[in-house]
Amino acid sequence: MKPRTSLPAVFLAPPLVILAVLAFVPTAYAIYISFRNRELSRPDGSFVGLANYIDLFSDRRFINAVGVSLTWEVITVTLTLLVAIVLGILLFEFASMRQRAVLTLVFLVPVILPRVSAAFVWKFAFHPLYGIITYPYKMITGQPLDVLSSPATALMTVALVDVWQWGLFFAVIVLKLLETLPPQPFEAARLDHARRWEIYAYVALPMLKAPLISLTFIKMIESLRAFDLIYVMTRGGPGIATETLDMYAFSQGFIESGRISYASSMAVLMMLATTVIFTVIWKRVKP
Amino acid sequence: MKSVKTLASSIAYACLLAGSVSSIALAAECSGTIRVLAQPRDGLTLLEGHKDEFKKLSGGASFEIDYLNENDRRAKTKADASTIGKYNVYYVDEANVALFASSGWVAPLSDYYPAEYDYADFDPGRQKVATYDGKAWFAPVTGGGDLMVYRKDLLDAAGIKPPTTLDELKDAVQKLHQPDKGVYGIALRGQRGSGANVWRWMPYFKGFGGEWFDGNTPVFNGEAAVKATETYLDLFKYSAPGTQTGSWDESTGAFLSGQVAILIESTPLAGLAIDPKTSQVVGKVGYLPPPTPLTGGGYGHGLAIGTKANPDEASKACAGLFIAWATSKENEQRRLEANQFGELNRTSIMASDAFAKLYGPDLGQALADTGKVTAVNFWQSALWPDLGDRWGIILEELITGSRSDIKEGLAELEGFAKDLVARSQ
Repeated sequence: MKPRTSLPAVFLAPPLVILAVLAFVPTAYAIYISFRNRELSRPDGSFVGLANYIDLFSDRRFINAVGVSLTWEVITVTLTLLVAIVLGILLFEFASMRQRAVLTLVFLVPVILPRVSAAFVWKFAFHPLYGIITYPYKMITGQPLDVLSSPATALMTVALVDVWQWGLFFAVIVLKLLETLPPQPFEAARLDHARRWEIYAYVALPMLKAPLISLTFIKMIESLRAFDLIYVMTRGGPGIATETLDMYAFSQGFIESGRISYASSMAVLMMLATTVIFTVIWKRVKP
Repeated sequence: MKSVKTLASSIAYACLLAGSVSSIALAAECSGTIRVLAQPRDGLTLLEGHKDEFKKLSGGASFEIDYLNENDRRAKTKADASTIGKYNVYYVDEANVALFASSGWVAPLSDYYPAEYDYADFDPGRQKVATYDGKAWFAPVTGGGDLMVYRKDLLDAAGIKPPTTLDELKDAVQKLHQPDKGVYGIALRGQRGSGANVWRWMPYFKGFGGEWFDGNTPVFNGEAAVKATETYLDLFKYSAPGTQTGSWDESTGAFLSGQVAILIESTPLAGLAIDPKTSQVVGKVGYLPPPTPLTGGGYGHGLAIGTKANPDEASKACAGLFIAWATSKENEQRRLEANQFGELNRTSIMASDAFAKLYGPDLGQALADTGKVTAVNFWQSALWPDLGDRWGIILEELITGSRSDIKEGLAELEGFAKDLVARSQ
């Protein structure tokens, strides 16, 4: 029988206490002030119960922001995974070891770039007068292409930048995962005359189900934190076409109104929704 | 009687002496680092090369300036001033001075601005926008009104006289608009924000006789606002690409790169247009006041004393001394010598021979003329940023086609304004 020791508790307790304080104090405070009408310019404020939460549901910007956030999540997570899987397989299938090494390095560059820098670079690239991406269109048609000013294309354009950063990075991960798989199932499938796409669809990817689910969750969480990218590229515009929940909460709290109680009620709702949705999805898709 | 007069003058001299001594004493006590939160300005960067001068003047204090672009600076100053207050000096502007002053986040500058630095020398328009509730709250580092800047070569080639009325402007913009040749009639601001698209829309609104509030009652939802919006949207058909969601950078960038015929913008544009480092249209540009009935958008940005980071009188005096030094005639003269047109704020400098020699008589005349039509277009209230930003969103939606009903947009803004006023009470 091992001797009982309190050493693990001694080492674990301080960081756990610090983590608990860092996590729970701001959360508790956000919940507390969401029931008040505190504003930055007025340090007083009084208890207003659920008024802030009720107001949210008649606020068209909030309802729009919920829609934009959901659309953003679906587009960026789906496209990132799609790009990662397709590119990962292509690299695994057609690239030599040397080519893989070089391309892996290249694919890692976008995600290493600071988000704000990447956003500025792409914003300029999409500029209708000087942008390198819009230039061919202007040359061919004679008309400028202003994708960030159109409510129909702005969100998709910003999403492409997000996918460029994360899709390429995830492609490297998918490639490395494929390299770790044992060769026997692939050989068996080939002996059974399985076509190439069938080998990946029915053999390789099912074997990678667990890590792919993990990647999906990582991207879902990362997509919730796209504030910097969207803020630099569109500031939530045109109008409110790319205004996500976190951006609207920040606007209400610090840019426009200083209504930190109202902003906190949004943050609390977002936290609750995220927790519930992620838990449900996790339970359903658990490998 | 004579003895009373003598006594009065003695007291006056004593007070003056005591004031001077206390001012010197407070200045001499300055130490440590004065922290400044600002937005990038060439004039402030120039100051950083003269830290030793301030150290000597203040008796040992230094300063550090953190820079953020305009929107981020607004958000950060608001967050900092209302919470931890780590900055001694804030860069504020005409749009948020009422909020900062009424919230007690900044101290009245007039109480701490040493008299010898001559606050009255600042351009009267800038003093006006720095004033709230009868007190001056910041010392200007930039400001002015609007100028119509136009391409003389393009207008001459098309046989068009520089427009002096709005109808002439619309006509000229339409005729000069030749996208196939890479020239656009005008450049406006579409990006949402009280200091962005709303700022450029307001001269039309005020020019058509619009008013924001009558007391606490919103009165802006009327014919003037509808007409102003229709005119603005109409002109946007001829605005350079990228300006639909762009602001100052996009519209001036398009003009300075030679792609815009006429631009009505804030006065610092004139300095950029004649500087070969920033402009491809040097020598091709003319200046006039905005066409009638447009009013010029009077504005001013400047430095104010934070209250939280300066809890006592001595630290407020140190911050006041820094602001006075930073905006002094000597430093303004340095900015003139460095050709920083947009950073000049003192009448003594702008009326000087050196100014006339550097920028020519045309620009001086245009500045004098535009001063006559410069007005405070925004609602001077702590609630203005909130209201202006909300209209900015609706206006951007109208510009980019997310919505098309102007009256519906104004009605939504009116409802918002009523809620805003009710909430503030």
